Amino acid sequence: MQQILQRTRGDKVIWSVVVLLSLISLLAVYSSTQSLAYRMDRNASYYLVKQLMVLAFGLFIIYSVHKVNYTKFAKLSVVLYAISVPLLIYTLFFGTTLNEGSRWIKLPVVNLTFQTSDLAKLVLFIFLARKLSQKQPVIKDLKKGFIPVVIPVLVTCLLIAPANLSTALMLGFTCCILFFIGRVKIGHILLLGLFGIIGFAGLFTFSKLTGIGRASTWEQRIKNFTSKKESTKKDDKGENFQVLQAKIAIASGGIIGSGPGHSEAKDYLPHGYSDFIYANIIAEYGLVGGGIVIFLYLLFLWRSIIIFKRCPFAFGAFLAVGLSFTLVFQAMLNMAVNVHLVPVTGLTLPMISMGGSSIWFTSIAIGIVLSVSRYVDEEVKTNKKETKNSDGEKSKLFIDNIEQTELAAG
Amino acid sequence: MNVKKEIRFRVYFAFTCVCLLGVGILGKAILIQLKEGKELRALAVEMSTINTILPAERGNIYTENGQLLCSTIPQFDVHVDYSVIQQDTFNKYVDSLAGSLVKLFKDATKATYKQRLIAGFKAQEKYFFLKRNLPYYQYQTLRSFPIFNKGKARGGLIIDSKTKRINPYQMLAYRTIGLFRENAQTIGLEATYDSVLHGNNGHRLDQKVTGGVWMPVEGSEIEPRNGRDIVTTIDISIQEVAEHALMSVLKQYECKYGTVVVMEVQTGKIRALVNLGRLENGEYWEDLNYAMFPTEPGSTFKLATLTALLSDGYINVEDLVNCEGGAKQFANRVMHDSHHGLGIMPIREAFAHSSNVGMASLAYRYYSTQPEKFVSHLKRLHLTSRTGIDLMGERRPAIVLPGTDMWSATALPWMATGYGIQVAPLHTCMLYNAVANNGKMMKPYLVSAIRDYGKDVKIFEPTILVEKIAPDSVIPQLKACAEEVVLTGTGKPIQSPFYRISGKTGTAQVADKGISYKDKVYQGSFVGYFPSDNPRYTIAVVIRTKPNSTAYYGGTLAAPVFRMISDKIFASGNGNWDEPLDSIARKGDVGFPARFAASGENFNRMLHSLGKTATIETSSKTISKIVVDTNKNIFIMPGSVYHGIVPDVKGLSLKDAVYILENEGLKVSVQGRGTVQGQSLNPGIKISKGQLIILKLS
Repeated sequence: MQQILQRTRGDKVIWSVVVLLSLISLLAVYSSTQSLAYRMDRNASYYLVKQLMVLAFGLFIIYSVHKVNYTKFAKLSVVLYAISVPLLIYTLFFGTTLNEGSRWIKLPVVNLTFQTSDLAKLVLFIFLARKLSQKQPVIKDLKKGFIPVVIPVLVTCLLIAPANLSTALMLGFTCCILFFIGRVKIGHILLLGLFGIIGFAGLFTFSKLTGIGRASTWEQRIKNFTSKKESTKKDDKGENFQVLQAKIAIASGGIIGSGPGHSEAKDYLPHGYSDFIYANIIAEYGLVGGGIVIFLYLLFLWRSIIIFKRCPFAFGAFLAVGLSFTLVFQAMLNMAVNVHLVPVTGLTLPMISMGGSSIWFTSIAIGIVLSVSRYVDEEVKTNKKETKNSDGEKSKLFIDNIEQTELAAG
Repeated sequence: MNVKKEIRFRVYFAFTCVCLLGVGILGKAILIQLKEGKELRALAVEMSTINTILPAERGNIYTENGQLLCSTIPQFDVHVDYSVIQQDTFNKYVDSLAGSLVKLFKDATKATYKQRLIAGFKAQEKYFFLKRNLPYYQYQTLRSFPIFNKGKARGGLIIDSKTKRINPYQMLAYRTIGLFRENAQTIGLEATYDSVLHGNNGHRLDQKVTGGVWMPVEGSEIEPRNGRDIVTTIDISIQEVAEHALMSVLKQYECKYGTVVVMEVQTGKIRALVNLGRLENGEYWEDLNYAMFPTEPGSTFKLATLTALLSDGYINVEDLVNCEGGAKQFANRVMHDSHHGLGIMPIREAFAHSSNVGMASLAYRYYSTQPEKFVSHLKRLHLTSRTGIDLMGERRPAIVLPGTDMWSATALPWMATGYGIQVAPLHTCMLYNAVANNGKMMKPYLVSAIRDYGKDVKIFEPTILVEKIAPDSVIPQLKACAEEVVLTGTGKPIQSPFYRISGKTGTAQVADKGISYKDKVYQGSFVGYFPSDNPRYTIAVVIRTKPNSTAYYGGTLAAPVFRMISDKIFASGNGNWDEPLDSIARKGDVGFPARFAASGENFNRMLHSLGKTATIETSSKTISKIVVDTNKNIFIMPGSVYHGIVPDVKGLSLKDAVYILENEGLKVSVQGRGTVQGQSLNPGIKISKGQLIILKLS
């Protein structure tokens, strides 16, 4: 243990945030799965133990990944992206539908099911970080810069969209944030947004007319969100019921909450251990607890920005800031759904919601961020000792017109 | 702008946006808590707690002997929620479940059941109807079946329990006991004593806890107060006899309806209340409370007229009255007797022969100038107001009063003979009962006690309505008249050699709702009491005929019913139905039922207590039989025992008893010494060889 701690590198604050989120996850999952455990005829702590194992393995993944030199991910992302496309196509046709609208495939050897979109997302973000860093000199140019960057995003999004439109839209929007950070012209991003809207409208009309796809679900979700009156009927098990129950959970929390395991709302709240876990956290730990969770995510993001600022290399900088933005953005969106700020989408709260493979993909992302952090730390140390030592080797990764010293001094 | 600065600016901008989103989320959470919090929390309480009603058990209805007339049993409706059953579980067990269901219900083939189950599962029905009104034992069995034994959450069995009122004696006193219905009017005793029977429902606050289990909130429970039981005065054996007797006559003449009221003289307790109406299929059922319908009573009402005349001292029953051959004009109408040809005779005999002319003449003579006085007598006889019986739905008798538009010159003479007024059979019964009870009018009642967990909490004592309906001198005269009816008058056919009956026949042509006098619908009645010298029961029998019926006289229609009932009550004890006693006796030459196998001494004692003397032609200790000759002389003769049926050996010496019983193949065990006082097997039941009978001697 001592050894592991000693060998653990990277931003200590991020590490702390990750551990804290895991602890919150354990508490919230344990409390909110009581009803599920009863229904499934399981031991009350069954899901707690399961989540504990998943998180432990997640931490192991983070540790392992952060030990890897992040520059290796640049090349790896190209290969993985090339793999992810056929994988998505395969999933589209042969994947099993586990939850409504999400496609999973089973890995043959390890017998592990995972959502291909999770993999594709992660790979795309890394790939994008690489592309953006490469194209920096010409990024403002539509043909030379923007188009090559946007093509892989569109491919991935379009492959995910038929099965899970909300994930695809979410992904598209997150990529836009990455474009924004990567100095893509605002006009181009707006143009992309316009295409997105037209595309969505087209898909929606197609689905509505042919009955293929999930246009009706979407229509209902928007309707539910815009309609003022939530259904108060007890037997209404639809999304309105979910939203209403989430609100009840939030309302019952007050400032400091009802205490661990004392929420009564959790027994009614559907998916209270995954999509709606944040409402449960507010119910049991109040606005204080809810605020802390938001603060932890923001802290994580802020620490990543610091890494970004300190990272001398464009790829590392984009990688750290891009991955943490996507992660935190997903968290924010999920919490926004919980408080009924945006319509219901099938998103989980990263590192907190009960899950398996999705937590591990998140862990990989965090691991990569920490890897960058570790590198930056080590770089600063070496820089102090012998300035401009390894310049030559890594110069190919530099953004041409950004001086290393500038970024390093940050 | 510098590249580095631009990126940094953009990152900060994005971070700020995310921060704002975070603030927005927290803000929205606060907003929900502040703005909608109260409402939502109330909703949460409403959803997580329910007020469960703990139903009070409805009280039972018992007879005074403790027989159960009406009770409540649980029943179960069963539905299946297929959506909670796992696919593989269903596939695995559907076959054995279908098999089990067939074994339990035996109402369809296994394939049919399986088909139904699979269809329901495919449609994922959440409330699939399986069975209704299951008794408890079937419900218990059902719960142990495959799939269902996984409980509600995973086996999908939905149970709705309810209760059902049952009458173990079925039709017996059905209308009197009444009906308790959730969605319709409650009638009968169920209605009258609803406040006693229903009890008070309890309440409990249940809270939903993890896993969808409802758990009672501590201290919130208000226990249900179960309904109390009521004890009715109805005697099930008398009720049975009365129903049987009435039914036989109704069926024989296809009558429209009939009613019998049996009232205990000293107390006013209703021992039987039979109401049989003809259904469209020709069967009879306790459909309406005919005993409480006011109708024109006809001749039975003459007792009231006689009471009035005697009370005022205008007449004596031995005075003569001219029946004028059976026809006399009053104002513009001619009154006829149903049996013409009566001339001048004592009032007692005119009453016995039911002369309308005679009674109307007397009333007309004394009251035509002062009809109010006649009516005031009716009031004193409680004939103008309700009896006050504890049964819902009694209507007030309808009597035309002098001075009103309805009153006419013919009103009084016709009223004197029971027309132009409407009095319910129960009411007439009460009047005759008062005469039987030496002038003390008792209120009829049906419930003698309220019981709580087997303990009497309230006892209803007999109520006196009128202490004395007439001066002391009048009652014996009324009694003499009533007895004359059966001795020489219209009631002669029902004379009994064992006890005397007093009463009055009545034959009224009916004009009622939808029936005019032209339809020749009659109401034959007999109201009387027995035994005449020390009356114990008053019985009113009223039968309404079909149109143009061949039999309609009260004497031929209603009186035999009376006799059948009175005979049975008189011979009471073992609860078996018999035809009139002398008809059995007549069959004596052929043989006689072994239940009358008693010693000659016992027969003699019985006949003596009935005030009869018999010629004894046998030694007192041997088994004997009764024979009655055509002159109604009674003989006690040596009898034989019916093979295969337990004889009555009470009163015999041990030697005789053992001889008789062992000859029948019984094993005899003896307790005590002396003569036989009791036997463990009741007389009249079938013997199985080698059965043990215990004799008690003293």
